[in-house]
Amino acid sequence: MKILAKKDLLNVLKNWSGSYDVFAPGIKETGDTIFDCFDESTFTLDYGKPPLPQKSEVFPQNEIIFELKNGEYREVITGNEKMIFGMRACDVMGMRQASSFMTRGDVTDPYCKSKEEGVLKVIMACAGPQSETCFCTTVGSGPFAEKGFDLQFYDMGDEFLVEAGSERGGNLIVKGPFLEIDDAEARTRIDEFKIKASNSVEEMPALKEAMNRLRDGSVSEEVWEHFGRKCIVCGGCAFVCPTCTCFNVSDYVTKPGEGLRVRSWDACLFGGFTRETSGHNPRGSQALRLKRRHEHKLLYYNETDIQDGLCGCVGCGRCSDYCPVHIGTLEVVKAIAEAR
Amino acid sequence: MAGLAATFGSGAMTNSIVEVEEADLFFIIGTNTTSQHPLIGSRIINAKERGAKIVLADPRKIQLADYADIHLRHNIGTDVALLNGMMNIIIEEDIYDQQYVEERTENFDQLKAVVSRYTPRVVEQITSVRVSDLEDAARAYATTGKSMLFYAMGITQHATGTDNVKTCANLAMLTGHVGRPSTGVNPLRGQNNVQGACDMGALPNVFSGYQQVANEEVRKKFEHAWSVGKLDGKVGLTITEMMAAAQRGDLNALYIMGENPMMSDPDSSHIELALSNLDFLVVQDIFMSETARLADVVLPATSFAEKSGTYTNTERRVQIAHKAINPPGSARDDWDIICEVGRRSGYPMDYRSTADILKEINELTPSYAGITRERLVKGYGLQWPCPSEEHPGTPFLHKDKFTKGLGSFLPCDFKPVSEVPDEEYDFLLTTGRISYQYHTGTMTRRISILEREAPEPLVEINPDDAGRLGIKNSDEVELISRRGSIKLKAEVTERVPKRVVFSTFHFHEAPVNLLTNPVFDPDSGIPEYKGCAVRVRRCA
Repeated sequence: MKILAKKDLLNVLKNWSGSYDVFAPGIKETGDTIFDCFDESTFTLDYGKPPLPQKSEVFPQNEIIFELKNGEYREVITGNEKMIFGMRACDVMGMRQASSFMTRGDVTDPYCKSKEEGVLKVIMACAGPQSETCFCTTVGSGPFAEKGFDLQFYDMGDEFLVEAGSERGGNLIVKGPFLEIDDAEARTRIDEFKIKASNSVEEMPALKEAMNRLRDGSVSEEVWEHFGRKCIVCGGCAFVCPTCTCFNVSDYVTKPGEGLRVRSWDACLFGGFTRETSGHNPRGSQALRLKRRHEHKLLYYNETDIQDGLCGCVGCGRCSDYCPVHIGTLEVVKAIAEAR
Repeated sequence: MAGLAATFGSGAMTNSIVEVEEADLFFIIGTNTTSQHPLIGSRIINAKERGAKIVLADPRKIQLADYADIHLRHNIGTDVALLNGMMNIIIEEDIYDQQYVEERTENFDQLKAVVSRYTPRVVEQITSVRVSDLEDAARAYATTGKSMLFYAMGITQHATGTDNVKTCANLAMLTGHVGRPSTGVNPLRGQNNVQGACDMGALPNVFSGYQQVANEEVRKKFEHAWSVGKLDGKVGLTITEMMAAAQRGDLNALYIMGENPMMSDPDSSHIELALSNLDFLVVQDIFMSETARLADVVLPATSFAEKSGTYTNTERRVQIAHKAINPPGSARDDWDIICEVGRRSGYPMDYRSTADILKEINELTPSYAGITRERLVKGYGLQWPCPSEEHPGTPFLHKDKFTKGLGSFLPCDFKPVSEVPDEEYDFLLTTGRISYQYHTGTMTRRISILEREAPEPLVEINPDDAGRLGIKNSDEVELISRRGSIKLKAEVTERVPKRVVFSTFHFHEAPVNLLTNPVFDPDSGIPEYKGCAVRVRRCA
């Protein structure tokens, strides 16, 4: 185990920036925090829950996957080594779930895989909930990670305890300002941190209750009708979700004889996502589409998809933070749990 | 704008979006809010769920109809009669705000005289709204303290648009619902910066901040600032007047920026004739639009992501935006192109950036004087009027007194749509937008997912009418007006009332403005997009 004095963190990040693209939290003039290229002048540790997960680093909002030029097709696979510093454990779990959905068994998604392999995930373990919508302990995604990271930092006041989760991560902290600390001592301090952190995040029994009811088939359609009536179909819940992976593929002619095939984020809440060529739509109402979205997170998943989590939701609470009409997972599971 | 300027002295949303959260009642007329202003519509739904009431006046069964306590499905173009009827009831039942009317308004007697003719029975005849519904709506609006009135193009896009707006303002003043938080008359602007364009004087009669071109003192100020000789004090032409002038041959050259009148203006076959009749047409746009194809010169401009500057949204909030990506090819910012055209025409315009331009706006526009770049970058914008750098901005207008002093009741009489259906053209066509496409589709029709969601033009028709005409869902139908015809698929739906069809102006495959009536409001110049007579025929 290693220990790093807090005052040395900026130098460490500057040093890493020499070798990788480092993404880290920064604070804007307006007071908003955002993950962007590391910038010493805006870097902050006081960033709470980042407004967006870092899913786009492995699954960009838009990415070119094919190019047609000079009469030839060329597959475009990109991905370079980059570090995301300060990820939250729930977002790491989200990235694991999203990536494993893309690549599993004998199916490989080369566009996502090449990016994912390049990403060094450095977690800043949460000492407690980052907002009132956090429910990571209920779904087993946080407030710290057990695996799936390269490094995990524990904030101990004036210093960080730093845990390596991979060989690549370990290689980053062999020397420099990272000092050796007795493993047993570090473990004790980390365990204390973990217990305190876990206890401070409120359990959300409605989620498990909702999962049970979905499994029993005892959820009234009225629940979905209620939400379907008010959904404004912006797709925002899918775009802020760390685990949503719906995409669309479209071709663009850039000039005669040349073109691009682009993959873009999509959302299962859009009617056209499931509409068939005949015009028939198996999920023909917004209520049915919302039902399907939440069933996919809470009922229809398999072990590979959820990567040691409880379900397909990682409890970050962003859908509840941002939905303009309050149709987040929190509101949905409460409505299911409370419905008669 | 013209209507609110005449009654209140200021043509803009009187209150702020966030005030929806504290309001107790919403009177929503002529706005499909959840579709066209979804973040305002969402707040209204949330407010309803915490107990606020919704009175909706819309011929169509829009999403908010599911939430409305009262839904008045009045006949198209009968807004003045409907609102006068509400005022008739409010005065008759003595539930108007007497003190407010006495202290803050003028011309009440004239209003009383006009609306006295609009008894609930008469109004029922005109609008098809039941007397009891009208009474419920009038009482609810008048007696709820925090009542916000919202309207949009359903009110303005009529030949009587200004009358409609004035009548909305009359109703709000009568009940004392202007000048306090969570009240007001709130026009929802159709584009992110149309308020800004108006504020900056992109109108034929004013400089920035609604300073009249007819005012000599104002002209002197601008002449001095721009170091030019004599500025013309004559009011210019509106778009509709320009097109007519071009067709007559009285207008020789036109410079169009970011507008696609070939798709967006009524009776578009005449627009093509008008534009072809010009000696010189310049179009500045980000894509080759239907209009740009007709131009002698096309000047490539930058998209929102490729430029910096400010936008003024529907609640008078000025917000700064920063350039995110570089423009492609030879595209340049609108202001930069205009400066270059100015320079080459012999008038040096040497602004170096949008910051320079904002500085000039601050100097010349009293309501924008305190909205400086330094303040904008630090927050989430400022709402005008903001007369000094110390001023916090103005969340709601007309506190204690109206911009023009006393609020003027300007009562109007009901006039039907200009083209009333008859035996030959027996349907009313009303037009609007859907959430997936924007205006003439210049931008949104290039986005694959939006195009998948709404790939083709549809016309909504009531099941009753569809049954009578043998039209089934997705059948191809022809819409025929006195000016043209289009073919498109039918969507058979209860959303539209009987004898009304609805379509959008997004699709070049079936440009609905081939059909619309080119009559327009005499004050605002806005055409009557919301009602013209058509015939519907099922294609074999």
